[in-house]
Amino acid sequence: MSEEKKMNVNKQDLPADVRTSSAAEVMSMRPLTDIHETKQGVTLTMDLPGVSKESLDIDVDKNVLTIKGAVNLHTPVELSPSYMELHSGVFERRFTLGDELDSAKIEATLNNGELTLHIPHLEQHKPRKIEIKAA
Amino acid sequence: MISNMLRFPITMFDDGLDDWFFPRERSVRQQTRSAYPLVNVGSTENNVDVYIFVPGMEADALDVVIEKNLLSVAGERTQADLHQDEGDYTRQERYEGQFKRVITLPDEVDTESAEAAYRDGVLHVNLAKRAAVKPRQINVAVH
Repeated sequence: MSEEKKMNVNKQDLPADVRTSSAAEVMSMRPLTDIHETKQGVTLTMDLPGVSKESLDIDVDKNVLTIKGAVNLHTPVELSPSYMELHSGVFERRFTLGDELDSAKIEATLNNGELTLHIPHLEQHKPRKIEIKAA
Repeated sequence: MISNMLRFPITMFDDGLDDWFFPRERSVRQQTRSAYPLVNVGSTENNVDVYIFVPGMEADALDVVIEKNLLSVAGERTQADLHQDEGDYTRQERYEGQFKRVITLPDEVDTESAEAAYRDGVLHVNLAKRAAVKPRQINVAVH
């Protein structure tokens, strides 16, 4: 795969919590993500445990895709934590989308805390066979 | 010699923590995958609550066992079929494969009381604390 192809989805490399949270906001975690590319488009798979459909926001602003989800564990109010590996209540991550991706046609599925996003290539960027007419 | 000394501080902090302060692009293979699954434990006056984060798993594919005071969760997470013959992964951070986590439960829990629920990729195990843990007065018989 060429370098150019790999640039389709660029991770903005700063941790989400440093880059996006305002002073008033809680620190967010960067969800672990797999990115898979084919000629048809890009598929992102993301771990968002504890995030429901209702608490998940997916936005595209110009060429920036933002995924933000709040974790709800339905914990009892009086619960006091004794051991924690997952610290924050918010997942957030941004990706810059390449020009060849059709951000208007993003398909999202959330199942068991696993988000799958399909972003197809624009029609004019899909590989196309040119027919050669007989003279 | 001088060049070695100059390099030293960089390799010394090359364990990931500096990424917070000096973020940089890593290749797919260098990207560290975090432990799977993550675990949170908390308690209330009468209960101990264990949260095990297993996104992408179906509830019936989880093997949850309590033996003595050990709670173990095991399973296997497989990658979705994404026409892998055709495309390529440009980034892989998520855990894939078999996993097992064993959690030592506090002595005061009644393991018989364990109840497990699964929602949005989080396994929640609720255990009641035994009443017997409360301090008990012992009468001293006088002979």
